[in-house]
Amino acid sequence: MTTLTARLPKGRLARSHGSPKRRRARGSRWGYIYAAPAVALVIAFIGVPLGSVIYHGFTSWNGFSPPRWVGLDNFKVMWEDPIFLRAIRNNVLFALSVPIEVVGALILAHLIHERIPGWRFFRSTFFLPAIYSTVVIGILTSVVLLPQGPFNQFLGDVGLSGLQHNWLESTGTALGAIILVVVWANFGYSVLIYLAGMTSLDPQLAEAARLDGAGFWKILWKVHAPNLRRVIELVFVINTITAFAYMLPYIYTMTHGGPGYSTFATEYYIYETGFSGGHLGYASAIGVMLALIVLVIGAVQIRVLTRGEK
Amino acid sequence: MEAATAPTARPGLWDRMVERVPPIHRSPSRAAQIVGMLLLAISAIFPLLFMLSGALRTPADWNHSQLGLPTTSSLEAFTSAWGSANIGLYIRNSAIVTTGTVILSLIVAATAGYAFSQQDWRGKRATYLFVLAWLAVPPVALMVPVYYEMSSLGLINTYWSVILLYTALNTPFNVYLMTSYLRGLPDELMEAARIDGAGIHATFVQVILPMARPALATLAVFNVLYAWNEFVFALLLLQTESVKTATVGVLQLQGRFSVNYPVLVAGLLLTSLPVIGVYLFFQRYLVRAIVAGAVK
Repeated sequence: MTTLTARLPKGRLARSHGSPKRRRARGSRWGYIYAAPAVALVIAFIGVPLGSVIYHGFTSWNGFSPPRWVGLDNFKVMWEDPIFLRAIRNNVLFALSVPIEVVGALILAHLIHERIPGWRFFRSTFFLPAIYSTVVIGILTSVVLLPQGPFNQFLGDVGLSGLQHNWLESTGTALGAIILVVVWANFGYSVLIYLAGMTSLDPQLAEAARLDGAGFWKILWKVHAPNLRRVIELVFVINTITAFAYMLPYIYTMTHGGPGYSTFATEYYIYETGFSGGHLGYASAIGVMLALIVLVIGAVQIRVLTRGEK
Repeated sequence: MEAATAPTARPGLWDRMVERVPPIHRSPSRAAQIVGMLLLAISAIFPLLFMLSGALRTPADWNHSQLGLPTTSSLEAFTSAWGSANIGLYIRNSAIVTTGTVILSLIVAATAGYAFSQQDWRGKRATYLFVLAWLAVPPVALMVPVYYEMSSLGLINTYWSVILLYTALNTPFNVYLMTSYLRGLPDELMEAARIDGAGIHATFVQVILPMARPALATLAVFNVLYAWNEFVFALLLLQTESVKTATVGVLQLQGRFSVNYPVLVAGLLLTSLPVIGVYLFFQRYLVRAIVAGAVK
């Protein structure tokens, strides 16, 4: 865990003391050749599609006849399209769960960092949900939450049959169920990121605070959290982007966006309107909008992250 | 604790010792914390137990009860998932796609990492940032154009479509990780290779690649998990039965008009076992990838 990160600063130091000039003598042309496969791949399969999605976002296109330029029409329609607005609203609702994840994972990481009994076991098992395929998680959840499924059966067994519910097919609970599953699937990932950040904390600070009588929570909030600000923000951004751009497998396997449009998300709309509806120009425009939203979230991240730099 | 407060004359030793006791003994909520952590850990393991116990049931036993230990232990669900439900074929396809993606990703990351860390050439910094910048693009935004690009390249329903795409999508991160790692290698190594008269390619093969083994292992684990579990593009690009990967293939078990649940969970378990095995055996490499991504 530490070998890689511990090496970096040492390496940079060694480089600055070394003699970069001597290296320059060799292989100036080969640098391009060695970098070429990576550059070619990102251009071919990210750059070209990105250019294409931007262009087609300004067209009306059904995939068969040539695309027809329509200017900003798709983007104008979008903001009056109730389904699109509903999808964006759902994405925002998904993102509302992010603070729970950010704070919850921080507490869990702190407990592991403090070497709570069994911490090794917790560290390994907490990441398991992030190892299961999102599709496996989605299908399993939909099985567990079936009207006659194990969860309702369990509620009946413990005498709570009044709470039995058709969880994924009721507007009131489907969205909440998805949020819960996604938070569960990702918390181990956030915990690991925190743990990585905590390795750089000075243990003497916590020790000193402890001698001053600070308890568990005080050490976490007043001593550690300020030093972990960047990592906390990173966890925040990663989970927010997940809420906007990585929900499709869950929605696809659990609700297909329903009931009604209550769990419809932007990505799912791209899929539906593009591949089932054949409105590829419009789907492209939504793709552009989604990329922009994610870019804004990322830009806010960079702004926030560089704010404290001298 | 009581002993610490009782003596009045000497506040010295006892008090200090009590102060030093780690919070574990002082915090009354410690038990609650451990219980909470245990519940979470159980929830993380629960899917595995649920799939295993479900897969061992006969459909009749499933209808009777889905929780607790199975009263039957029939392997029929596994055999019919593997055979008649085609999970064996899908897992083979996933293995091909994953192997291809990992090999290609490692080659691309190692060569680019070498170029960005150990060689000097005009525009190196700009090119490096250019490769990294694509991290900002969410892949789902590219669903439509990727489908049509692959279709015009004639790659729909071929393993190559997803192998090339997965490799490309992960290239920014892979190159970042590899470059950071190679930058940390001591200069003396390159120096020594130079003195030995090793050319640029010999240095790559004989010095860089062996030294990069930990980073290559980290990337291999990371990309195995990604390629094995990816769903959206596999769904779009691999539509014929013979090339479907496991994540897409298991959907069919869910979609049939009357679902055979033991077979469904058996299929899900078979799909999950390879990645869980990889995680259990190569945990530390994966953790390293996440650490590298987090601590920039």
